[in-house]
Amino acid sequence: MLLQNSPAILRHIQRNNIIICSIITNINGLVYIVHNRYNRKGNETLGCTYGRKALIMNVLIIIPAYNEAGIIEWVVDNLIINYPHFDYIVVNDGSKDDTSEICRRNGYNLLDLPVNIGLSGAVQAGMKYAEKLEYDAVLQFDGDGQHDPAYIQPMVNQMVKTGADIVIGSRFKTVKKSFNPRMLGSRVIHCLVRLTTGYNMTDPTSGMRLYSMPIAREFANNINYGPEPDTIAYLLRNGVSLSEVQVGMNERKTGESYLNWAGALRYMMRICSSIVFIQWFRKRSI
Amino acid sequence: MSVLFRIILVIFSLLTVGYIIRKIRRSQLQIEDSVFWIVFSIFLVILAFFPSIAIFLSGLLGIASPVNFVFLVIIFILMVKCFSLSIYLSQLNDKIKKLSQHIAINEKVKEDREKQEVV
Repeated sequence: MLLQNSPAILRHIQRNNIIICSIITNINGLVYIVHNRYNRKGNETLGCTYGRKALIMNVLIIIPAYNEAGIIEWVVDNLIINYPHFDYIVVNDGSKDDTSEICRRNGYNLLDLPVNIGLSGAVQAGMKYAEKLEYDAVLQFDGDGQHDPAYIQPMVNQMVKTGADIVIGSRFKTVKKSFNPRMLGSRVIHCLVRLTTGYNMTDPTSGMRLYSMPIAREFANNINYGPEPDTIAYLLRNGVSLSEVQVGMNERKTGESYLNWAGALRYMMRICSSIVFIQWFRKRSI
Repeated sequence: MSVLFRIILVIFSLLTVGYIIRKIRRSQLQIEDSVFWIVFSIFLVILAFFPSIAIFLSGLLGIASPVNFVFLVIIFILMVKCFSLSIYLSQLNDKIKKLSQHIAINEKVKEDREKQEVV
């Protein structure tokens, strides 16, 4: 029953001619799968794979990319080579540069949006795809090299352990926030979220978030569900559970952030007004 | 109100009607969207021909200057129109989002299927 719920594993099994003999669950919280295996000479032998249930949760990593031609190859190759057990999808948000060509040339999994519809639309597209392929959870992962894939597994583990609906990769769960102007916005949103929901969301602007499928489905099919702190605050108020994991992030390698000064101001206006005013008369429809 | 000003008002309101009708004839505007503008421009023409309407109504409401009354009404109408356009735009935006997501996902699913057939 475990495998029936996991289409990605099923596909892996079909592709590699694996025949499963038996599945033993729950020995010290581990899952054992006895199956056939091909050794280096190509002969069939018996093998056993085991892992935590967390490893068996199917996560789709959504990598929204807008004009990331300079870095996307580095980001996706790093993911494919070092973390091959995760499925990923690059969502090209109608880039003007050759992001799309680079992805096609390398044979990446690519959702190619014909026009630019913004970050939230791009993430939404990835979630719709995940919904179609019946994944268990989706992870939002920046295409600009800011996020470190080493922290994906800890986040997945956290989701399995706590049963949280959303897990945020926070830069400041155990590390103290520095006092520079870039963190000002983060502090303001942090305060607002704390005031309106009572929840201590240490890094509201972190773009590294893991959503369980029911929540991702809600994101995928509703208007006004941008993957932004205001939506998280709104969901928190509606009883969705949230957990945080300490992560590290890199400085941006190339390209320009979505946010310049004017953009940052507009972003703050939108998020703050959304958290403070608009969320109160929104109706949640599932 | 001077005679010259009234003539200017009448000419401009008629020109507006003419301009709107021409745009509709060249089908640069959908009929549904044009209804508002036709009614609005006829309203302007009527006001230009019979300013006494505005004078009467502003007197009724106790507004000192008929011009204020005209401004108030027109600004209100335009504000409502602007808001409804904003709603319309949001809906269009949502539709474009959904369409492009649908296109991209369909394309991807098709590619996946082709790849599987090759294998």
